[in-house]
Amino acid sequence: MGEDITSYMTELDIENNFFISDSIANIANEVLDVEVLKAFEKIKSDYDSDFVVELIDLYLQGTPQRIQAIRKAAGEKQWIALKHNAHTLKGSSSTLGVPTVAKACEELENVTSSTSNEVVQSLVQTLESQVLQAREALIAERNRRLQPRTAFHQSGLF
Amino acid sequence: MSQFHITFKEPTPNRVLIADDDPVMTHLLTTILKQQQCESVVASDGREAYRILQADSRFRAAILDMSMPFLEGLDLIHYMRSEKRLMRIPIMMITAETDIKLMSDSFSAGATAFLPKPFTVEQLEGAIRMLIGNRKPVKRSN
Repeated sequence: MGEDITSYMTELDIENNFFISDSIANIANEVLDVEVLKAFEKIKSDYDSDFVVELIDLYLQGTPQRIQAIRKAAGEKQWIALKHNAHTLKGSSSTLGVPTVAKACEELENVTSSTSNEVVQSLVQTLESQVLQAREALIAERNRRLQPRTAFHQSGLF
Repeated sequence: MSQFHITFKEPTPNRVLIADDDPVMTHLLTTILKQQQCESVVASDGREAYRILQADSRFRAAILDMSMPFLEGLDLIHYMRSEKRLMRIPIMMITAETDIKLMSDSFSAGATAFLPKPFTVEQLEGAIRMLIGNRKPVKRSN
């Protein structure tokens, strides 16, 4: 669903290359605290790019492997590996302003050997669902940040 | 005829060891450190950090994540504070843990600073400035 995020844009948005549709903005507001990301804008990238986009890309690249490791650890009842991966994902999610994922990770961190398999699987599913929503919001934010620059490039001014 | 031997102490290089298994955090830290004219040496887990420290002590500071695979941040602090060549390196612990006891455990073990996640850019920059300007005095046993 994440790859098709542009299909949610209205025609006007695509023409302007600037704005995202209200529906995407609403999703972003619920799962992504854009103010947290804005705080990173003052950091200058080594690669002359948007530092926030760099952080989003790293998060999006690393999260699928992290989710896979969590799923595997939950299936094999490897509690230490489960807690460790959930903990790391919680850290990067809170850093990037994705509190819903951070909260789902925290609940997985509290899993013990006495927690029933059904509860563990349910928590993993909740996390996966939160990650999917966060991914959409982050991709939308990433696109929003890249589009003005693209518009300048397309104009032939740069 | 007397001879004078002058030895110049090698200046502490602006190198900082970062040990964290989160690529988002290591990228954030290395970029901010670079802006403060510091070179980062990154270890992606506690064991890798331990191996680096076994071979190299020329660090201005160390920034360690509390929870890492193989060796945790607290284990690394204990190791660094037990080695004469590493014991003066200031250490900052960063963690997403919410347990306040970890902070006291870190300071008891010899951490110089403790920064819980999430933190603001200003908090991180301030903590790094304090850390690289700080070199722990060696305790005298007299």
